[in-house]
Amino acid sequence: MPVDKSQIIEKESVTVEGIELTADWNRMFEQRVVFDYDTDALDKVTDLANAESMGWCYQCGQCIPVCPVDAVGEYGPLKIFRKLQQGQDLFNHDDLWKCTTCMNCLRVCPKEVDMIKIMPAIREEAVLEANVPQELQEVFENTFEYGNPMGESQRKRADWIKDAGVDVPIMKEIKRKVDFLWFVECYPAYHGRGQEASRALARVMNLLNLDYGILGTEEKCSCDSQRLAGETGLFEEFAEHNIGLFNKYKVKKVMVTDPHALNAFRKEYPKLGGKFETIHYTTMLAPLMEQLNFTKKLNYKVTFHDPCYLGRHNGEFDAPRNCLTAIPGIELIEMGRCREQSYCCGGGGGGMWLDGFMADHVTERLSENRVREAVETGADVLAVCCPYEVSRFEDAIKSTGNEGKLIVRDIIELIEEAL
Amino acid sequence: MANQNVLIIGGGVAGIEAAKGIADLGYKAILVEKRDRLGGNPDEQQYSVLTPDRRDASEALSDMMAPILDNENVDLMYNTIVTGASGSVGNFKVKAVSMGKEVEIEAGAVIVATGFSHFDPGRETQKYGYYEHDDVLTLTDAEKLLKEHKFVRPSNGEVPKRICFIQCVGSRDRQIGNEYCSKVCCGISSQQAIEVREQVPDCKVYIFYIDMRMYGYWENEIYWPAQEEFKVNYIKGIATEIVKKGDRLLVKGEDTTLRRPMEVEMDMVILAVGMEPSEGTKKMAEYFGLKQNKYNFIETIGGPLDTVSTTVPGVYAAGACTGPADLEDTVSAAGLAAMKALGSIRRNGNA
Repeated sequence: MPVDKSQIIEKESVTVEGIELTADWNRMFEQRVVFDYDTDALDKVTDLANAESMGWCYQCGQCIPVCPVDAVGEYGPLKIFRKLQQGQDLFNHDDLWKCTTCMNCLRVCPKEVDMIKIMPAIREEAVLEANVPQELQEVFENTFEYGNPMGESQRKRADWIKDAGVDVPIMKEIKRKVDFLWFVECYPAYHGRGQEASRALARVMNLLNLDYGILGTEEKCSCDSQRLAGETGLFEEFAEHNIGLFNKYKVKKVMVTDPHALNAFRKEYPKLGGKFETIHYTTMLAPLMEQLNFTKKLNYKVTFHDPCYLGRHNGEFDAPRNCLTAIPGIELIEMGRCREQSYCCGGGGGGMWLDGFMADHVTERLSENRVREAVETGADVLAVCCPYEVSRFEDAIKSTGNEGKLIVRDIIELIEEAL
Repeated sequence: MANQNVLIIGGGVAGIEAAKGIADLGYKAILVEKRDRLGGNPDEQQYSVLTPDRRDASEALSDMMAPILDNENVDLMYNTIVTGASGSVGNFKVKAVSMGKEVEIEAGAVIVATGFSHFDPGRETQKYGYYEHDDVLTLTDAEKLLKEHKFVRPSNGEVPKRICFIQCVGSRDRQIGNEYCSKVCCGISSQQAIEVREQVPDCKVYIFYIDMRMYGYWENEIYWPAQEEFKVNYIKGIATEIVKKGDRLLVKGEDTTLRRPMEVEMDMVILAVGMEPSEGTKKMAEYFGLKQNKYNFIETIGGPLDTVSTTVPGVYAAGACTGPADLEDTVSAAGLAAMKALGSIRRNGNA
């Protein structure tokens, strides 16, 4: 019988019911004929509150070319829908964890199939069943125990201010109302590169004489990415903690470094009683740029990566660009996929903590795909303003062999460099 | 002096609407109908509900025909079949057999409203085994079951657990000769799918289609609710054949988005049969010398800007006798035909 070679699945090794098989045993044929469309799998999803729209797909396919995961693998709402229609149990499938909730599909979807609601709804069920990739589970546990995904000590959350060189007011200590609260968030508080950006931001705000305070060791993770990865319970617990602090310090306005915190504060905290204004640090600084006395001209060609949760999710595209173009000497070169169409770094929706898992499902990391695009623009600097991105893109520059061609800088670091 | 009466041939939706229009404008309508009652296909084929508003078909039709049932401006002639015609605008003489007797009807203008017939899925190819398998139905068969609220398998009287619709049966087919899209079947299938899900909530419903043609508001009024609220499953790819498997039907086709063959078992298969010109439509074209298009529907000569004028002055055609039409098309064309028919009489009378 003639064999259609495209139907052969051949693997180096496979494990079947705990037994590892090698060599000839691994040649398999995919079942070709569809014998059933078991609607139970799809019904199980669409019966879930907030996941109803999964069943609305009419297969126009517009989501696929804009899905950042499909660009490096096989994914996207249409494909998820079709697999559900064939009876695939998404609650127990790796596909459940591949979505970064970047919102590019929803942007183009005529039927408003909303993965931003669908994914957390299904993942929440999987979390309740303890059916979560191990590396993500560890992050949930770290967050629960230490208040941050890295498992760093809560007591050290404000340690970064020691080397800031300027006074960083802590609410608990200053005991007065401030114009706004700076919610520092975990990576800017603990991660080496995040701390550098935090210190730069503190120094720039000092120059601008802004009246702010931070929560210091009282602050806990905003948990938005944990929420989107399915940990609703953890999110709500931490949200109540943070809202309690905002209320205690009579906070009316919050500035965030992290667009994921911005998203949580704007869209989720109000449901839990947190009523206050939130803006991103670039939104805060953009109108103040002319008050800064720049002393240096930075002769950089800079390209800017729009964070999904600042741009698409919360509509801020101009402030980061206004900050950048106000810096003397900087030439801004846009990547093809920018603003609303921006590519995703891979860090959202839990992706930050699923790199190991994702490696089995993609031909390259999303951050690598993005770095290659940035290099193609001829830029020297990839500017970012989301704390997930510095480390992701710096790793990707190394792994794609682009060291020496491109550096990654937070916008605040570039601002400070020119002062 | 031209005859001031308008003869309307066919007592379906188009004929009723045209008669109402003529009577309202103060002229005499003579409405001939071959059956002993009005209502056309929706009545004869016992439609369950009308599309797209899902109003009970019998009730809606009763309301529609009430104004002409006891109207001095409308002569209703039941059990009447037109057998020949002569004359010209202002002075048509139409032969008919009425209640078994030969009669001659004089009229200044004529509106042909003889409609369509449902495609017979046994005609030509018989590829779906309509006359072979009891559980293979047409949309019209399904309408009757839904109207009676007895949606069960004809083979054994059991409530079906899974059914499917197969779209474009007898339409868009060069071999069959019906190259046109029948326009309403995507909507009718989707609406029947909703009714099935309402009447038999545990029954899973699939629709196999080439492309869903839900123009205008049918998209949001029928297609979207069917999928989103009633969880009807739309599978792109038409089934090619149906074979018996145990007491079920094995539907074989190609899932064109997966690019894989499908062989799925169903309890019932409903063929979304399209429209063809009715026998009456073909005969009226012959008697009045009206040009027909290649599919034997009556050809209208005004392009998109005049949907009722035929090649013969004074003879107008309204509704599905001119080609696939939904109810909205049909009543719109009927009103237009009434106006144009009276216009031709008045012009002729003044000349």
